[in-house]
Amino acid sequence: MLYTNGEGEFRGSKDDWDLAAQIAEKCVEFKADDEDEMVADEAVSCYNCRYRRWTVRSFVCLNKAGFIWTV
Amino acid sequence: MRILVSIDDTDTVKVDNVDVRGTGEMAELIAKAIEDNGWGSCQPITRHQLLIHPDIPYTSHNSSMCFAANIESTYLKPLIDFAADFLACESAPDADPGLCIAIIERISRPGWLISFGYMAKNYVLTKENAYDLAEKLGIHLSEHGGTGLGVIGALAGAGLRLGGNDGRFKGKLKLKTKDNTITTGKICSQSQVDIVKCLETGAVLHDDELVLLGDWVKTILHYGQAVLPVSPVNEIGTGSPGWKTYSKKQMKDF
Repeated sequence: MLYTNGEGEFRGSKDDWDLAAQIAEKCVEFKADDEDEMVADEAVSCYNCRYRRWTVRSFVCLNKAGFIWTV
Repeated sequence: MRILVSIDDTDTVKVDNVDVRGTGEMAELIAKAIEDNGWGSCQPITRHQLLIHPDIPYTSHNSSMCFAANIESTYLKPLIDFAADFLACESAPDADPGLCIAIIERISRPGWLISFGYMAKNYVLTKENAYDLAEKLGIHLSEHGGTGLGVIGALAGAGLRLGGNDGRFKGKLKLKTKDNTITTGKICSQSQVDIVKCLETGAVLHDDELVLLGDWVKTILHYGQAVLPVSPVNEIGTGSPGWKTYSKKQMKDF
């Protein structure tokens, strides 16, 4: 799974740029955040999504539909 | 008089297909109101990242927004009233907005305010901590909805802006170039950039040095100046730029 259960925290921490981009590319719920809050160079990335909420270690997706992206 | 206007916790994540203004946009609108009303002139907005911690409620990134302004003293109360009403009416329904307005010359212990800013980047603070310090320093601090916890970030944002070494400026630079290459001199003349600097070495670029612009050119607040950070380009050919601007990834820690 790309997301854990429970809180749905992204397993890739804050530095798995490729994985965050791969997931966002497939996510129909991706919505770009305010430009000032973007951190990934890939335009479409969970790290740049309005629904990500940063945590100490990583982030959680606040859009439940985002949880469909598990492999 | 020179003032700092800082706000925090005005937004929420979009829910039920309703778009909500971000805190940065709210700060922009307050700055616009100051200038549209003829109360004074405003400087660019800076974004300040605060602590991410399970005990701190925040929307998605826990950052505050601050700008400096020059206003006539008679407009201070109208500004406070306007900003307070604006936050109360325009913030997201479940936000916890806070407003801080500090008159720079009247901050008796600027170091205390700056320290509070850095404390908020490293420790969990309370509303009481914020109100106590604001009262001691004679700073306006008020809450305008929800739990009002945004007062912590609002006060911290003012401290970090005052310190002059934290955060990045809102928005990206728009510079005129033919091939995304431009001299340092033109960067500074076309924008509000004070200096172009390599942070790794501390080298400040000369006016004739060439910089390759990325697609997301942003400045940071560094030693009280608007600084465009650059990195050296590895392969330098004749006439090629020796420097390139930071990517988003490189900027994320500011």
